[in-house]
Amino acid sequence: MKSLCALLVLLLLIAGALPGLAQETLDYPSDLTECEVDMTGETLRIFHFGDLSGPYAFITQPIVSALTDAVNYWNGRGGVCGAQLEQVYEDTGGNREAAQSVYDRFTGAYGGDLDLLLLYSSDDGELLREQLAADEIVSFISAGSVESLYGEDGQTPGWLYASNPLYINQFGSFCQFVAASPEVFPDPVIGFVTWPNAFGRAGTEPAAREHCASLGVPVLEEPQFFLPTDTDILTQVQNAIDGGANIIYTNTLATGPALIAGTLVDLGMEDDVKLAGVNWVMDTSVGILGQRVLKPNGLPSTDGMFGSMPFLWWSELSSPAVQFVTQQFALNERSATEQNIAYLLTWGLADSVIETYIRTVNRVGSLSAVTGADIRETVETMDYQVLGGLLHHHYEEGMRDATLNRIAVLKYANTDMSGFATGPDDAMFIDIGGSMGYVPIVHALTDFMPVPQLRG
Amino acid sequence: MTEFIHKNKRLLTWALYAGAGLALILLIGDQLAGLKAARIVQTLISGVLVGGVYGLVALGIVVINKASGVFNFAHGWMMVVGGMIFWSFFTVSEISLIGAGLLAAATMLMVMSTVSWRDLRQPRNIKITIAGIAILTLLMTIGGADWRWLHALTGTFAGAILTGLAVERFTIRPLIGQPLFTAVLMTLAVAEVLHGVTQIVWGTVELNLPVFVDPQTNSRFRPIRLDAFKDALDGVAIVRVELVIAFVLALVAFVGFLLFFRYTSVGLAMRATSEDQQLAQSVGLRVRVILAITWAVAAFLASIAGVLQGGAVGLSLNISFVALRVFPAVLLGGLESISGALVGGIIIGIVEQFGTLINSSEQMGTNLAPYVVLMVVLVIRPDGLFGEKRIERI
Repeated sequence: MKSLCALLVLLLLIAGALPGLAQETLDYPSDLTECEVDMTGETLRIFHFGDLSGPYAFITQPIVSALTDAVNYWNGRGGVCGAQLEQVYEDTGGNREAAQSVYDRFTGAYGGDLDLLLLYSSDDGELLREQLAADEIVSFISAGSVESLYGEDGQTPGWLYASNPLYINQFGSFCQFVAASPEVFPDPVIGFVTWPNAFGRAGTEPAAREHCASLGVPVLEEPQFFLPTDTDILTQVQNAIDGGANIIYTNTLATGPALIAGTLVDLGMEDDVKLAGVNWVMDTSVGILGQRVLKPNGLPSTDGMFGSMPFLWWSELSSPAVQFVTQQFALNERSATEQNIAYLLTWGLADSVIETYIRTVNRVGSLSAVTGADIRETVETMDYQVLGGLLHHHYEEGMRDATLNRIAVLKYANTDMSGFATGPDDAMFIDIGGSMGYVPIVHALTDFMPVPQLRG
Repeated sequence: MTEFIHKNKRLLTWALYAGAGLALILLIGDQLAGLKAARIVQTLISGVLVGGVYGLVALGIVVINKASGVFNFAHGWMMVVGGMIFWSFFTVSEISLIGAGLLAAATMLMVMSTVSWRDLRQPRNIKITIAGIAILTLLMTIGGADWRWLHALTGTFAGAILTGLAVERFTIRPLIGQPLFTAVLMTLAVAEVLHGVTQIVWGTVELNLPVFVDPQTNSRFRPIRLDAFKDALDGVAIVRVELVIAFVLALVAFVGFLLFFRYTSVGLAMRATSEDQQLAQSVGLRVRVILAITWAVAAFLASIAGVLQGGAVGLSLNISFVALRVFPAVLLGGLESISGALVGGIIIGIVEQFGTLINSSEQMGTNLAPYVVLMVVLVIRPDGLFGEKRIERI
């Protein structure tokens, strides 16, 4: 398999075993718009804040690393159209009050310079939706809930733009995959076991249930909630199974999917109940944390977990974007735990910000003259392959989220990288944080396909 | 009518609660009636085991409160720091001699200067300090990876003592004689400092702490399946081994502390100090030393809880929030009661699990049920189930 062979190259790069390759710096993969305005002497600030120390830290902490590397990359090459990049960020710990406080501080301190803000959390998106509109500040967010992007009625596009499909649409897309795969999912019934916040609840709405039911995939009405601090979720998982679920779907990340997978193994239900989730379950962190509990066949509990993958992954090294980020990751000597979705996508996000500003400044004449409304106009007229294909930036007719998705499966590599491990005897092991661990691989099962629009 | 209510207020209150309790039992009973016995037994087992860990966390909070009257909001972050120190020693194959030596030196200096920094000048104390540093450093670095349990336990012990003593010395001691509320607010500040220190030293990414791992499979211990009761329960209940270990350790800690407070002179001195610091000082008790020991003990308990929690779900900054979930257990058992901490922890654990069993979709187990139980108990017993009833003369 090409992707597996590519992963071998990736792993060798991480280990520093191919320093020669790292010396040949790859070209920036994106066709950025040519600068028509010289911004020498000016500073282009990338503002962002979110949960860097709370439940999302595993995912979000590498955002800072990736932005740091991207900023250094550009500043080391003379900046963007001459302007030096600067990262301005704060940690909110996942706390809404802290998010509001940081927002107030940013808008107070930077005023007119704050035209574009990067957010990570649906909660923050919902909290700031109206304020961003009032202050005319555009926000790029990874996915976001219906309310944050389209308001309570689901029909009022705001100032937030998501790079991934809405979580509810991702769930709808998974239902389509289930309906189209009766050999994998005979008589499917989906039960939600998820976190109780805005992110976790996305997809539990009646519209999603109705869509899935129309495809012949019933979804249990009652979602089961647990907290990131829970040590034991036997009760929640058993509730879902007793309710008839043979597929458990989760909008959690890092420890969340791993805890559910481990609980299924504890119950001896790993073969009877499939596990699936939102795009964040297809993260390296889940692949590593899932190794705490092994199935009877010796593979990690998360082996075979399904999930959305509306972007490219690290193993898709045929993409210049992935090649480039992989090389930057190695050159900056980042640790293996940082090689996750967030690091990869944040390079794309930085590229989006840069392209947006270049286009806007070209139009309005100077960086200081740029307003949030100008940024918004640019964003809504852009049709841009982020980093040459990592993501697609295209928001038309009031769309605020991406419209394409893939379904993937989390597996573990075998020893000769020719396929997936079937047990510990033919699995590849590498050093992960001081102990030997399986090598997680995310493998796309479908091509990119349009997601259903379920926001009501 | 008004007079009747006024005269029988207490009786009516009890009748009201009895009625509410009966309604609750009928409601829950109806919900549980449709479930297999295995689910109910499973929920009970999970509740008791999770409650044991809650109890251990609650114990640390109670110990501080018992000795000083301070409600320690930094306890959750002490858990994180303790767990992180354990992780550092447990997962690193070669322990830095300099790092271990510095930790040992800082710990011994804080221990030997508990009464006064001047004590460090005495030749005898200098010898003890040097010997202590040498022994701790040796225990933290001796042997290879096979000795990691010894390294980790010693390192965690030293780190916890250092944390506890430092918190007491630099934040609580200067507030002796000040209103208790000031000290309580100080613990909030300490929590933020520990939060920041943890982020700087260990980062924010979750760490795997493989303490509950079967060495043969390198996987978490397989749960015990109660197959023998399959027919009787109409299903199989399971018992997670790591939670059993945590529960047993919690029990050992409780028994140890009950004996400590009842039969040791230091324990008795702590109890006396908690009654009245000035009076205790006037009868010759060294209040400073006792408070320092209390904080060191609480930090050690927090570290144990941090390791157990981190081993069960992974070591992250999130585990500090467990302390917040434990507050109802502390209040339920009684702020000053050792046994109350355990009982409160177990009750809250069971209530959470049954609340989740009955209605997980509305988070009844975590958000509602513990606080309803707490509210009812506090109305009936304002000092908690095992709290000391105070009679103050005016």
